[in-house]
Amino acid sequence: MKKGKKITTKILGIATIPTVTFIIMIILCAVNGVKLFETTGNWIAFFRAVTSVMLTTFALSINLNSGRFDFSIGSISLLSSIISSTICIKAGLTTPFMLSVSLISGIVLGALSGLVYVLIKLPPIIVSLGIALFYEGLSFAITNGYGVSFVANAELISFPSVAHYLEVIIIALCVIIILFDYTRFGYNYRALLSGQKVSVNMGIKEIPNAIGCYAIAGGLMGIVGFISATNTGNIQMALNFGSIGVMFTAFLPMFIGGFIGRFCNERIGYVLGAVTTALISLMYARLDVDSSVQQIVTALILVGFLIYLNNENKLKVLLIGKRGLHK
Amino acid sequence: MMRKQNFKQQVINLTPFMGLLLLFAVFMVLGTIKDINVAYGMKTIVNQSIVVAIIATGAVFIYTLGSFDISLGASAAVSALTGGMAYNATGNLFVAFLVCIGLAVMISLFNSILASVFNLPVFVTTIAMLSVLNALVLVLIRLNGTGDEIAVPSAAVKPLDTIGFKLVVLIVYWCLCAFVFCFTKIGRKQKLLGGNPICAKLTGISDKKMAIIAFAMAGIGVGLGAFVSIVYAPTLTRNTASSVGMDVIIAIVFGGMPVSGGARSKIQSAVIGAFSMTFLSQIMTILNLNSGIGQMVKAAIFLLVVFVATFNQRNKMLPR
Repeated sequence: MKKGKKITTKILGIATIPTVTFIIMIILCAVNGVKLFETTGNWIAFFRAVTSVMLTTFALSINLNSGRFDFSIGSISLLSSIISSTICIKAGLTTPFMLSVSLISGIVLGALSGLVYVLIKLPPIIVSLGIALFYEGLSFAITNGYGVSFVANAELISFPSVAHYLEVIIIALCVIIILFDYTRFGYNYRALLSGQKVSVNMGIKEIPNAIGCYAIAGGLMGIVGFISATNTGNIQMALNFGSIGVMFTAFLPMFIGGFIGRFCNERIGYVLGAVTTALISLMYARLDVDSSVQQIVTALILVGFLIYLNNENKLKVLLIGKRGLHK
Repeated sequence: MMRKQNFKQQVINLTPFMGLLLLFAVFMVLGTIKDINVAYGMKTIVNQSIVVAIIATGAVFIYTLGSFDISLGASAAVSALTGGMAYNATGNLFVAFLVCIGLAVMISLFNSILASVFNLPVFVTTIAMLSVLNALVLVLIRLNGTGDEIAVPSAAVKPLDTIGFKLVVLIVYWCLCAFVFCFTKIGRKQKLLGGNPICAKLTGISDKKMAIIAFAMAGIGVGLGAFVSIVYAPTLTRNTASSVGMDVIIAIVFGGMPVSGGARSKIQSAVIGAFSMTFLSQIMTILNLNSGIGQMVKAAIFLLVVFVATFNQRNKMLPR
């Protein structure tokens, strides 16, 4: 009986936020006389948003959970997509090659960023600011400020499809779960996360672990860069921290994922967080909501959710009383 | 041995200032060699640095507590746009000044009260506020502007568009901040809170009260920065103060302030950092470097200066 109750609580905890969001989005669209999912394009847009946001959330959370704030993930995404698209256009390579080059570039750029961090031992926030400026500058220098355009290259813009995005989601999720939950690297990561000093004194090697984290985050952002580039066939330049906006898309799904992660694997929580935000984004697109209204509503949802998370016990006391809480 | 260590410490402390002097010297030498109008170049440097220097000076209070606000640039933009609208409605520049200061302080206080009352992490609150303020910029321009801008007549601000006025604003505000930071209980309490929050709380220091004071001081700086922005560039667009938010962080760190806050915090960091970054940008322009390469060099110098300035703060473990 107790086990059954536990399973029900878990299922409710996992499914409530995405399901309620889905129902609200459907109702909002229906009230305005449109369907949330009407065309194949809607499905593609939805899965693209889920994939990009999920990967960005993974990348951000890997370092943020360890207390390392990384402003450079957007610039890694930008630079790796520039490297891969330039190589593929010049060598006439196909989409799978572009994906591979993007991934490898992202890993290398992330590892370099991690290497700078461990070598100069400055707070990660400062290092990531410097790295973001450097990679943005390098992207600009490589393309002479013109960016990269391959709109006419039918092969390189053939990636967007539901099946391809699903493949990326499943593979990325499995790799991240295996890496962080079933390997020595993941064990060390979790140990360092819960007690840096104790772990280092126990002999866990922090430096390779940190570089590994940056490399993995970089690889994930390489894929995000690839997805963004192959969607539009255009890569636009960003200077003076223009690339950091990418990072902000991951905060809401990260907090939602953190909440859902209480009932299942945290990484699955992040996927569901990404699904939730992608549903909201699709609703904005379907109802043609003004971008400024979108920003305000998303920020309010983020603040509202955080208020709930940080005052959960107080709210429970208010709603069910102290006795109910102790039961 | 002790004296040698003190000397080493003093040299490290002076690194950001030495860096500024070096950049000034390089600018003068290059300017003379390349035969550019150095006086005009200096005027440009002051104009470009002043807004960041003013806002960053106020932001030092927030950084001293060990937190940081990423929405300062967007707050300056909203305050400047609203100030511009106030001028267009009343024709009175003093009203615009009051609106800039009042709104910026209100936004700042809203951030800190939201974080204090609901126990939210300040940084995330300011990220949400950044989105809201950026959206507000678009809404304000659309509602009150002519096309893509809100324009204050340049004749109205011309009497104030002088280096003297801008420097006076910076100096007066800096002196106020320096007084509060170095010679009052508030500054000492903030340094203690940033350095050791548990100890500070046990001694009876209210972190919420200190956060509200820090954000209010920063709000005044944002308001002044917004007003100076109107004076310098009276045609306000969505790009007004758009890069200020990140420039403030860079300036403060470049000026030798630790991001963790605490006792090592320095009020002069903001001004040193803001002017250093602008000198650096001007040197890149004189050298005719591609914007991308210029930014790469800037990034490398930024990391190098901060590395040297914090050389004595290394730990066995990686910093977080």
